[in-house]
Amino acid sequence: MSKSISLKHKVIGRRSTLLAILLFLFFIALSKQFDPYNQAQLANIATLLIAVLSITLLTGASGQISLGQGAIMAVGGYASALLVTRLGYSMWLSFILAIFVSALFGLFLGLAAARLSGPYLAGTTLVMALAIPSIAVRFEPFFGGDVGINVDYGNPPRWLTSFVGKISIEEWSLYVVLPFTALALFAVLNLSNTRAGRTWRAVRDNEVSAALAGINIGRTKVIVFVCASGLAGLAGALYGFRGLVGPSVYPTDLSLTLLTAAVIGGLRSIGGAIFGTFTVVFLPDLIERITSTFEVPGAIANYLPGLAIGTLLLLTVILNPSGAAGLNERIHHRIKKTISKSGGH
Amino acid sequence: MNLRKPLILTVVASALVGSLAISSVSTAVAGAPGVSASEIVLGMQLPETGPASPGYNKVDDAARAYFDYVNSKGGVYGRNIKLVVKDDTYKAGLTISTASKLINQDKIFAFFGSIGTQTHVSVIKDINRRKIPDIFVNSGYSSFYTDPKKYPTTFAGLGTYTVEAKILGKYLLEKYPDKTIGVLYQSDDFGRNALAGLATAGLKFEARKTSASFIAGTQGSLGLASQIGQLKANGVDIVIIAAVSSATAVAYATAAQLGYKPTKWAVISVGADATTFQTILGSKGVPAATSAAMLAGTISASHAPAPGELDDEYIAAFKKINDDFNKGADTRWDNNVLQGMNAAYLATSALMGVGKKLTRKKLISYLEKNGSKLSSAAFAPLGYSKNSHEAFTGFWLGEYDASTLLVPIDGKRVVYTTDSAGGAVTVSNYKRPAISADALPKVA
Amino acid sequence: MTSFLTAFFSGTAQGAIYALVSLGLVLVWRGAGVVNFAQMGQAMFTTYIASQLIQHDYSYWSAFVVALFSGAVLGALVDLGLMRPLTSRKNLKSLNSESMRTAIPVIASLGILGILKSLAGIFWAGEERGFPSPIEPTAIKIGSTNLAITGFDLFVIGVVFLALGLTTIFFTRTGVGLAMRASALNPEVTRLSGIKVGSVRTLGWAISGTVSSLAGLLVTPRTNLSPNTLDLLLIIGFTAAVVGGLTSLAGSVLGGFILGYVISFVSVYSAPENVFIAILIFLLLALFLRPQGILGSKEVRRV
Repeated sequence: MSKSISLKHKVIGRRSTLLAILLFLFFIALSKQFDPYNQAQLANIATLLIAVLSITLLTGASGQISLGQGAIMAVGGYASALLVTRLGYSMWLSFILAIFVSALFGLFLGLAAARLSGPYLAGTTLVMALAIPSIAVRFEPFFGGDVGINVDYGNPPRWLTSFVGKISIEEWSLYVVLPFTALALFAVLNLSNTRAGRTWRAVRDNEVSAALAGINIGRTKVIVFVCASGLAGLAGALYGFRGLVGPSVYPTDLSLTLLTAAVIGGLRSIGGAIFGTFTVVFLPDLIERITSTFEVPGAIANYLPGLAIGTLLLLTVILNPSGAAGLNERIHHRIKKTISKSGGH
Repeated sequence: MNLRKPLILTVVASALVGSLAISSVSTAVAGAPGVSASEIVLGMQLPETGPASPGYNKVDDAARAYFDYVNSKGGVYGRNIKLVVKDDTYKAGLTISTASKLINQDKIFAFFGSIGTQTHVSVIKDINRRKIPDIFVNSGYSSFYTDPKKYPTTFAGLGTYTVEAKILGKYLLEKYPDKTIGVLYQSDDFGRNALAGLATAGLKFEARKTSASFIAGTQGSLGLASQIGQLKANGVDIVIIAAVSSATAVAYATAAQLGYKPTKWAVISVGADATTFQTILGSKGVPAATSAAMLAGTISASHAPAPGELDDEYIAAFKKINDDFNKGADTRWDNNVLQGMNAAYLATSALMGVGKKLTRKKLISYLEKNGSKLSSAAFAPLGYSKNSHEAFTGFWLGEYDASTLLVPIDGKRVVYTTDSAGGAVTVSNYKRPAISADALPKVA
Repeated sequence: MTSFLTAFFSGTAQGAIYALVSLGLVLVWRGAGVVNFAQMGQAMFTTYIASQLIQHDYSYWSAFVVALFSGAVLGALVDLGLMRPLTSRKNLKSLNSESMRTAIPVIASLGILGILKSLAGIFWAGEERGFPSPIEPTAIKIGSTNLAITGFDLFVIGVVFLALGLTTIFFTRTGVGLAMRASALNPEVTRLSGIKVGSVRTLGWAISGTVSSLAGLLVTPRTNLSPNTLDLLLIIGFTAAVVGGLTSLAGSVLGGFILGYVISFVSVYSAPENVFIAILIFLLLALFLRPQGILGSKEVRRV
């Protein structure tokens, strides 16, 4: 019995390693086709993907909704920026430590969250996102007020440029982010396929029957929240190192964008998280291209990205609540069916 | 979270979305980026939409109108000036992305006239390390300009908040030694810089008594009733406002509601835009004549002539260009339009000054060497040098008359000058050169 | 003493509006089990409609009525066009989990919020503008001293209490109101007793739309109007609802006034910069001490 489980674990572990590496290579290959701007967008996707994964984990796996994931990102961002600028830590170490700081913060909040179902958690996280600029301004000498703290990835190191040739600053930022994205993906894949993941899903699907099955609902929710916070904090640190850690970097809109990405792709699917993140990052560019082709006046064009994202969100929820990934699975299922019908087996 | 093959499918789909959005990479031009035989490309970032956009979203249209005028007259050494504008909605996360787009896709030669301290701070380091000129930034945040070693390519487009507040503070202290002076400020870089300037001038405020603050951007949702109520309760005679224009409007309206009539209002120029003031009060049902009467007597400062001084040669010339060339949604002639035009005039001067062989390096060294000699509509000298990248180092003080025109106090325009540090406030003897008949800068 | 009175009066006037917002949220939550994050987006939109009418020389009161009416229509439309299909059986099958059923409508309401804000930006250029008040907003005088309360504030407080009174009568004295309470408590039983649960629910959305539209009309004269200004009001109203108890109408009103006082007393006695921090601390404290809210009932929350 125990042997078969550990065997299964190994298989899962191997598969998720493979997928994480695959994604890593895919991004690198894609970046080679891109100009520096789109390399930066790709790095942006890789960064935000981590935050979207945290929502996939939180909402998709345990059913809790956070509207203030950006606030937890800010915790990670400030943690790493302060570690680097005040204590002279290396950027890499600060990213790792940001995970722990924000997870700790998540623990504190999660203790409250465990008692908060649905709207209560959503609202609390929203208020938190709102309070961040105030906290930054209130403790200005420490947090740098509303102008924040300047941090960046630095220039590509010489060992790398001597190895792969001259690369742009944007490409370097992608190389910094990607290992963490792969790591996050690996972690989430493993978590969701283990017993813990199954426990979480049981809580999500039906709290009462999960409780009857002997699962400690409160504790499970806190654990999920802590894990999701760690991920969001890591994303926040990476996001801040694009140039600035400050209140205007983590506005409430950011939290909503992340939620949108998770929903569009499909709240329960990691593939969906990837698709959703690609969509929210590239959609504004796509719209800009269209509006500039048709010479739409700026007074209208400026609002189109917001309109498109809102509409997409609604359409997803109405037509296909399980998101793009659900559609994907459905198509996949149908193809399979057709194949099996048309012969063979 | 079932994912086996679907993951691969999604990844392919994602790549498709990505590649759809990617425009064909424009062909690189030989020589300086953004400069070709026929074109000079400048990039600008500002809030076109969102809570921080009112008023400021006119600056880009005004600047473009002047550049279009220059282009209609043959451009700069045959090159047309093209202004590419990106809306960052005043969110730094977006500022970082759009800066990268301007640099890498629009291939701009220089950043020009970007608006917003909180947003510009997120890209200033990156722009400087890439050695891209970052000229005439529309922010009065002194830390951007006082240490050129830190930000060698960044040049101001406004006088700093500190300089203006120092000049205003000194005047108020001398003119009203017996009055209680209070301040209403937004708790951000602008408000705090202004507060620092006032403190340097010798004005001290007491928290919760003579100084009231609010979180920038919340005047539209929380109102300013408790702040105004506090100033009133503490018998403040003179209220200095260091906030944006929409907040000034709310402050005046609230004071009227509470029956609070301070002896004087003094508004830092950022918040003293009469158009915004009257538009907001107008849609509150206050007739234009009443709102003009409310503003009348308010002290404010400016480095340039007031937009209403139609007999001023620069104003007359710029207003005509605005009428003929501005294609923006709101082309009403006001401070924001004037500022946009004047910055574009300065940029044209600098580009002409560098000469035919335009490079980024040359532009920066030109500004450091000759920038202080450039002329514009301003009555105050420019402060550009090797040691400082501050723009206008002086202001004149005026009072609004009954027709919302800022007129010099006591009928005589005196321009005061000082620095962003502890230096004294002195009277400037700068003489503004005349504008040429065709309103194009003439640079030797 | 003066500062105390300032804080008290401004807290009462602000609290009255927060009470309306919070009431609107609770109406929908009780009726449909949804926190409508688009609520103040709807209010923003209807306030713009009123502003537009006034700018075209219609009287304030006709604009007022049109705004309230369009608030009701918008509320009903959101339910009929979106929320009802979303919670219908067919769609739920694809998402057979309890938490998802509560998550999906919340996300849908965020989508509506985004659309309404963008549309307002496109239609009305997103410029910040003011909004008039029907009553000359000048301070009330006792003798020769001005009080920190205006005639308009009294008007606001009066209108809010009128609205609260009407809602109370509606829910306790009228058949439809009683049916709404019943269907909120137990839809199945209500359905069996022959009441059209669906229509009753839509009515709840419509009333909520009207109430929040009223909040928009009453708050903007003191502040400004832009596509984003009412966002903050939603967050404050939501906090008020949580503090008061999401399931209790009286609790939501109480929560609104409490929040009004927290905000104004912190502004006056501490500093306005601390307002949001105070709201956060207050919310966390309230949740720790009394997770179901002051007047909220425990059982309903478990669902």
